[in-house]
Amino acid sequence: MKRILATLLVVVMVFSLAACDDKGGNSSNNTSNNTTDNTTSNTTSNDTSSSTGLTADTKADLKMWCIATESDSNRKSYENAIADMKAAYPNVNFTWEAFENESYKEKIKAAMAADEVSDIFFTWSCAFLGDFVNQNKVYCLDDVLAKYISSGDLPEVMLGNTTYNGKHYGVPLTMNIVGLFANMDILKEVGYNDVPATYDDLIKCCDALVAKGYYPFGCAGGETWCVTEYLESIIEKNIGADALNDIFLARSSYNNQGVADSVKIFQDMIDKGYFDPAGLTLGNDEIKTNFMNGKYAFYMNGTWNCADFAANADFYGKVKVSEFPVIDSSKSQLGQLIGGPSDTLAVAASSKNAAIAGEYAAALGKLICKYGYLDGAGLPAWKVDYDDSKVNGLTKKVSEICAAAKAYVLFGDTAMSAADKDIYLAYVAKVYTKDVDGAGFISGLAKDIR
Amino acid sequence: MTKKKRKGITIFLFLLPALLLFFGILVAPIISSVYNSLYQYEGFSGDKTFVGIQNYVDLFENKAVYDFGTALKNAFILAALSVFIQLPLSLGLALMLGKGIKGERFYLSVYFMPVLISAVVIGALWSKIYNPTYGILHYFMEKLGIANLMPATGFVGDPDTALIAVFIPTIWQYVGYHMLLMYAGVKSVSPELREAAMLDGATDGQVDRYIVIPSIKQIIKVSVIFAITGSLKSYDLIKVFAGSNYNVPYNVPSLMLVRNVLGGHGGIGSAIAVMMIILCFAFAIIINQIFKERDPYGGKKHIKE
Repeated sequence: MKRILATLLVVVMVFSLAACDDKGGNSSNNTSNNTTDNTTSNTTSNDTSSSTGLTADTKADLKMWCIATESDSNRKSYENAIADMKAAYPNVNFTWEAFENESYKEKIKAAMAADEVSDIFFTWSCAFLGDFVNQNKVYCLDDVLAKYISSGDLPEVMLGNTTYNGKHYGVPLTMNIVGLFANMDILKEVGYNDVPATYDDLIKCCDALVAKGYYPFGCAGGETWCVTEYLESIIEKNIGADALNDIFLARSSYNNQGVADSVKIFQDMIDKGYFDPAGLTLGNDEIKTNFMNGKYAFYMNGTWNCADFAANADFYGKVKVSEFPVIDSSKSQLGQLIGGPSDTLAVAASSKNAAIAGEYAAALGKLICKYGYLDGAGLPAWKVDYDDSKVNGLTKKVSEICAAAKAYVLFGDTAMSAADKDIYLAYVAKVYTKDVDGAGFISGLAKDIR
Repeated sequence: MTKKKRKGITIFLFLLPALLLFFGILVAPIISSVYNSLYQYEGFSGDKTFVGIQNYVDLFENKAVYDFGTALKNAFILAALSVFIQLPLSLGLALMLGKGIKGERFYLSVYFMPVLISAVVIGALWSKIYNPTYGILHYFMEKLGIANLMPATGFVGDPDTALIAVFIPTIWQYVGYHMLLMYAGVKSVSPELREAAMLDGATDGQVDRYIVIPSIKQIIKVSVIFAITGSLKSYDLIKVFAGSNYNVPYNVPSLMLVRNVLGGHGGIGSAIAVMMIILCFAFAIIINQIFKERDPYGGKKHIKE
């Protein structure tokens, strides 16, 4: 398992670094030659290491904002990590609040502008964090992370998406990709014992499911980022990862016929009744619950959901995870994935205890990574120096998929700046409601994205 | 210094705090919004590029991204529904309760209760009611055998029904608020006037029509202003329904404003703010003109101070 992880860490970051370099202004020159050695090294280390400079006597008031709400797959890992930190540093008065994903994006931007953000805050890497870094709102973590990098606890390649002008501004947590989850009980009803491996097979399977009265997919239109998980996967498997990366990073225009064709493929799937129409207004939690209750055969979303699926004993035995099949094999191939290391902790430059907060965030991030990985909420960004033999089968499967990855395209709304992201999401939402077709999508984005 | 001058300075000094507040929290932000609306910039900070009136042009012309025209139309529809459905309902309730019916206090509390509940709670509640899978509305429609009348996407998901579905709770929430304003007015109408009219043979309806309603005209005016400007500024409840969906048929200017400001389009957000300010002021002036008392010969009634 560790060997797979070590391999995938290198693969992920090589592609991911290339992905964020141009857009976010990140430095891609941080790849360490010792990465493989670092990640396969099995030396033990104290999870709440005193090498961070934090001691049991350190006194400070620290506050953290994050998105690990009660229903979030990462909730348990946050709770466990915080409990460990509180035990290790009892004199740090640490408080935290969790907010719903999308409202958090709005809240943090407003708070950042007013310098009222918490000391430590959850953020997405690349352009999302980059916007704040450009406004000098984020505390530089070079000094804090140096010791973790030199000790091998944190492979430097994992910092690519949070490095701007050669400086590190984020503590990576876990990495995830978009997975195609399948309820095998339903698939078996239409004669499938495994997740369809080819696109033609997937379509045949969906037709059979519709004939049987099932909705093949559920997609949360109430949260547009969920629609991107479908659309981006379809685009990537139709035009290839390189082409999609080039578009997201403004190296080429949206005016790409392949993208228009991909939109048509997506909308044809909607027309054929592959998607539950009620999903148009539902949120992700409702869609996920419907999937787990057997209303849909497939669910495309982040692999952080492995934690929730594995935690549900009844459902765990029914679910399998795979990647979306290739649509145009002349341009794409299996192993081209959507995702990468995005979940990050950062420290506000306005924090009165920024130095301590930095040390605390790093130690906390390492623990969240550990517990998150063990729960199945993501693959680890930090060195695995603990027993991971009990990681659930779904997460192990995701590790295998990632280990065989050929290319990564970071989630579109993370790769783009805030201004571009909203325009992009507005068009994606219109694709789902069919207010815009493929031609309108590419011409509109080519015109409106700066 | 003359006595007159000293008096003038004293008045000025007494007015100064109020003037500073007025300029600081009303005039200055408006000027700032107008200034910012002429620039393109990301969010709250960063470099600004002067674009003139381009933000205003984009608001109306770039329908794929902004479509301000539709948002404005929706706000006007909500304002019309508020004036022609919400306020008559409120007036009806106020007139009914103002007569001193049995359980008056109880009904007053019940009708006013939605005003006390957070709009976020109401939004979440009605979202559940409308849910096409497990919503209570769907349940009852199924029981009545008319579930097929519900769109497959649910009432909120269907462009034909979404607008009215979202506006129903918006209107429902503030019926009690306007009712309370009008109820206070109804209660202040002199009982002698009512009794005199009754002695002259007027029915309940006639008393309301010719005595009570004209007496509370100023309160109705205030309610109309609140209803219209409130509709133009409505945000919280609609935001709950919209969630993180970037393409909703019930988009309104406030929702657009917040999304654009936080989404890195500060100039567009400011332009929307300016448009909303102009509209709110314009409507307030128009309503004042409509309600201005006129003498029987059509001239404006002058009230001696």
